[in-house]
Amino acid sequence: MTIDVLAFATSPRRHGNSETLLDWVLDAMKGEGAAVEKIVVPEVDIRPCRGCNVCERLNRCVQRDYMDYIHDRIVAADCIILASPIYCMGLAAQAKVLVDRTQVFRSRKYVLRLPVVPPERKGKRVGIFLSTAGQNWDYVFDAAIPSVKCFFNVIDVRNRDIRYLMVNGVDEKGAISRHPTARVDAEALAGEVAAHLQEVRAI
Amino acid sequence: MTEPVKVLGISGSPRRHGNTETLLDAVLEGAREAGADVEKNVLRSLDYASCRGCNACHRTGVCVIQDDLTPVFEKIAAADVLVIASPIYSMGITAETKGLIDRAQYIWARKFILKTLYFTAGHTRRHKGIFVSTAGLGWENVFDAAFPAITAFFNTTGFEYWDNVIANDLDRYGGIAGHPTALAEGREKGREVVALLQKTQARGDTET
Repeated sequence: MTIDVLAFATSPRRHGNSETLLDWVLDAMKGEGAAVEKIVVPEVDIRPCRGCNVCERLNRCVQRDYMDYIHDRIVAADCIILASPIYCMGLAAQAKVLVDRTQVFRSRKYVLRLPVVPPERKGKRVGIFLSTAGQNWDYVFDAAIPSVKCFFNVIDVRNRDIRYLMVNGVDEKGAISRHPTARVDAEALAGEVAAHLQEVRAI
Repeated sequence: MTEPVKVLGISGSPRRHGNTETLLDAVLEGAREAGADVEKNVLRSLDYASCRGCNACHRTGVCVIQDDLTPVFEKIAAADVLVIASPIYSMGITAETKGLIDRAQYIWARKFILKTLYFTAGHTRRHKGIFVSTAGLGWENVFDAAFPAITAFFNTTGFEYWDNVIANDLDRYGGIAGHPTALAEGREKGREVVALLQKTQARGDTET
């Protein structure tokens, strides 16, 4: 069975460092036979969560926009990848819009106590967080991670099934291409995730 | 006669008059009681784009986007006290609040790339930042991931990160009105920060 990979490129800068890192992972995934879809978040219509909490009763969002499509794709995918640069010590605002809109899954899971994915697919999904930062500080990704864990938790990807590849010290467009290990690490990650998904899905 | 202390409150909650904005209002009310000139801006009522990451400001010091945030940044530059309010969504500040913070990149560029802007220690001491936040969850660490972006924003805009007015576990309390201390504490902080700056003015502290 083909592995279904859904990827979110959230950087407002097209083909910059975080999207390049994502493309390396996706190309390697394709090489493993996966079906890959990349959604460029700043180019689609996703409005911020209104905080209305109506999803706690309705089990869906009151807003009709591209999130309707993304919602169904998130449920269907085997591997979900979130790629964001670090802006001001956190996820880019564009990534945070997407994360906040997964509130409907949180309502489904924790308020309505309904399944997000069918029981037979639980524990058979992988999440990947890809990130780049201009600053060289080793703690530059720390404040982004709790929101990333929230995102994956509510869409039924367990903590142990989240992979992280975060590259600091890359600022100017194209800087990641000069990074000594980023590309190799991205390809190795894709290989490991593809093998893992093949294995757990065979059970 | 000195100028009144200028306090700018910014609400980053998508929900009008919810827990966070109510707590912000308490801080602003306290500031008004202490004699400050108070203004509140609500991000959800504004039309603005997120930072495009184009880095044009690294050359020009000006953002290529001119929208409803442009005057907000002028007000931030003129304020003595900046109160940023955001609820916690998915363990972080809201997308709206992050949209504001990311747009401050042009100020960062002026300071660190173009070196046309410099806030002295004295300036920073006379400009105070307060972070107002609420969270439904009761976890002790629920605000932790919000602080670094707020710290970065106050640093960039020349405000000393003076204090937090935060209240968690609001799902249990049934909202901010049910919280035993938060609103009174917020009001007190509002009064306190204005009194502090009035004292600084009275001392004639213009040291750099």
